[in-house]
Amino acid sequence: MFLQKLFKDARYFQILFQSIFLSYGIYFLHWKAEWWLYITYFATSIITQLAFEYFLGKKEFAYSSRIAFSIPSVIISSFGLSLLLKTNDVEIAALAAFVSIASKFLVRINGKHIFNPSALGIITAIFLTGKAWFSPGQWGSGAVILFGVCCLGFIVVTRVQKLDTSLAFLGTFAALLFIRQIIYLGWPLDFFVQSISTGSLLLFSFFMITDPKTIPNHTIARVLWCMLIAVVAFYLATFKFMNGAPILVLVLAQPLVPLIDKLFKAKPFEWKPASAMNKKETRFINTVYNNLSI
Amino acid sequence: MKMKKLILGAVVISSLLLMSFCGFYVSKADGTLKNKTSQVILVRDGNKNVITMYNDFKGDTKDFAMVVPVPVVLKKEDVKVVDQGVFQRLNDYSAPRLVEYWDQNPCQGYYNEDKMAPMANKSLSEVVVSGYGNVRKKETVKIEAQYLIGEYDILILSAKGSSGFKTWLNENGYKIPANAEEVLDPYIKSNLKFFVVKVNEKEKAKLANNFLRPIQIKFTSPKFMLPIRLGMANADGDQDLIVYAFTRKGRIECTNYRNANIATDKNIPLFVQKNFNAFYGNLFTTQWKKEDKNVAFLEYAWDVSPQNYYHCDPCIATAPSAQDLVQSGVWWLNGKDWSDYSDVDDEEYDNGSKNVHFTRLHFRYNRNSFAQDLMFQVTPNTETFQARYVITHPAQGDMSCDAGKKYLKELRERRKKELKELAVLTGKDMNTWQEDAMAFADEDEQKNEATQYATIIDSASKEEENHSPIGILSLTALMLGGAGLMRYKGMI
Repeated sequence: MFLQKLFKDARYFQILFQSIFLSYGIYFLHWKAEWWLYITYFATSIITQLAFEYFLGKKEFAYSSRIAFSIPSVIISSFGLSLLLKTNDVEIAALAAFVSIASKFLVRINGKHIFNPSALGIITAIFLTGKAWFSPGQWGSGAVILFGVCCLGFIVVTRVQKLDTSLAFLGTFAALLFIRQIIYLGWPLDFFVQSISTGSLLLFSFFMITDPKTIPNHTIARVLWCMLIAVVAFYLATFKFMNGAPILVLVLAQPLVPLIDKLFKAKPFEWKPASAMNKKETRFINTVYNNLSI
Repeated sequence: MKMKKLILGAVVISSLLLMSFCGFYVSKADGTLKNKTSQVILVRDGNKNVITMYNDFKGDTKDFAMVVPVPVVLKKEDVKVVDQGVFQRLNDYSAPRLVEYWDQNPCQGYYNEDKMAPMANKSLSEVVVSGYGNVRKKETVKIEAQYLIGEYDILILSAKGSSGFKTWLNENGYKIPANAEEVLDPYIKSNLKFFVVKVNEKEKAKLANNFLRPIQIKFTSPKFMLPIRLGMANADGDQDLIVYAFTRKGRIECTNYRNANIATDKNIPLFVQKNFNAFYGNLFTTQWKKEDKNVAFLEYAWDVSPQNYYHCDPCIATAPSAQDLVQSGVWWLNGKDWSDYSDVDDEEYDNGSKNVHFTRLHFRYNRNSFAQDLMFQVTPNTETFQARYVITHPAQGDMSCDAGKKYLKELRERRKKELKELAVLTGKDMNTWQEDAMAFADEDEQKNEATQYATIIDSASKEEENHSPIGILSLTALMLGGAGLMRYKGMI
């Protein structure tokens, strides 16, 4: 049935949760809804995907099926930008979306793209153009959000079997913050709670760093890689007062992934089927997934 | 319907502006000094900061001192006193505003001429401070610098541990608020210094005025923050803080609390002009509760560069002059660069831009909702914003023509909407405004009884009583039906 079909691809879950977050922000947190911005992100991403798929896509699959399969990923990237990146200029928004999608086709090693598309788009727009920004405070730190984001995030990552990534990053980051804020500086506990319950941090931990295509294949290597990101991000955030440090560090750490994959051999990521999916369907999805730019 | 736009003077929310601040006051007598509201000017470009603090206290101001945590040891050149009037001008200019429009009489095709209502400025309450005790040097506390600036004796202290610092303050006759202790240790370990201000009676006697001028400090630090935690120590409950920020790039925003825009561009009943202060006070409190009491409210954001002509729409006071901006610490105007202004080495590239972006943020904080100090960032956001409320005067004269009757009907509907808006914005039921509405009836330009606010409130409250819960019933039916359908189809 329709619902069962939906559950086969974890990306649909991600889209669902991302749309919940965006609606939550607009309707409950009273964000100013920047429709022109969201439309720019989505339109540019989709057009870029269509164009690059046409010229650079793997020709062994039909164009239409490649597009059908890659569109959910494009929507995820667009939501990622809508949730995290702000700008006053339509050109900057278009640039961020273009960079996100184009990087999947242009920056590839061993058939795998290097950068998390939306993370790269965000970093490019903020640091290279200087005309976009990231609002770490936009989620506030209500306990309800903490709970909601964690649960929803948990489901998403268990669907794609990469919970280790989230926990390694978040655990290390939170532990370092705890040591610094509570043990060393002696702030009261609610000071620390406010630091780790920001929606932006959780969104990053569960929806950005977990992208299965841009993390090391080997489990231990992957955990260490996440911890490294957490340590550097903690340093930049705490001592250099940088906002959005985890995203920047993630982008900088992603070129290491092919090297780590070379040193630590492991089977590449595969979408594990939900029980309802038969072997043939699973094989198709994995063949397509590993060969296309999604 | 043609409308004529006029401007009514801004009415400062004077009740909210009984200033206080981000450090804490140390009282030598029994700690009756309380600070409720503060105003701070922040100027930030790159890692350069200028902070100007305006203080006001409640209670007996005798025997007073002020302690502010600062990230670096300030040199004498880094501290100065500025004209108090700057705060008044910035406040007047960026405060929430009431705008007036006039309806045209549909029967006569005539409308009132523009008239400018007088500015309803209220002065900020004045700061009166006197007295201070001796300061002795103690081993655990190091006096990093000591100098006289204007009417102030200033000490920059660094401490090894909070207990030593506490002992020092106690031995020198300062009572520390009990709540201040929990933050002293973290501040000391974060390597913050303490900027202690006292009044030099001799110097003060030379001045004609009897208030203390705002103190301005400048320093280079990547930290862009305001230490509010110390200020919570001696405040009763909620404290208001108004931040006027100037940058070259765009708006500032708070990075560790949510940012929200205060409700703006709302049509409200005419009688609100009688007491705009109370209206805005209610509105702010309602919004603050709605946003869970831990947000930074944006009240104004605009490019106020001297070369930019439009700074608001409508403007409610004269724009701050270039001189005001320079007084506020905007060092890049007026040919002054940071090195003229200070002896700090100018390591950063100065692009020579003369742009000035003004952001006004309004916080209301207490210990429970604000566990952390306020952290900020400069964003490239150049979108403008102002808190603006609109009142519309009705047309006057004979309304016996058809268009006139139609106008009266529309007027009634419009006023009903205005009243509903008022109730939503202030969180107070329409009936609570009945008294104001009745008091206003005599002054109303439109004497037709059906269009009077008081009449509309009466009939609206009757309508509400008759309201049947159709909406809720139909929604429930719809949900049950949907669930039944899904069950039938085997989806759940």
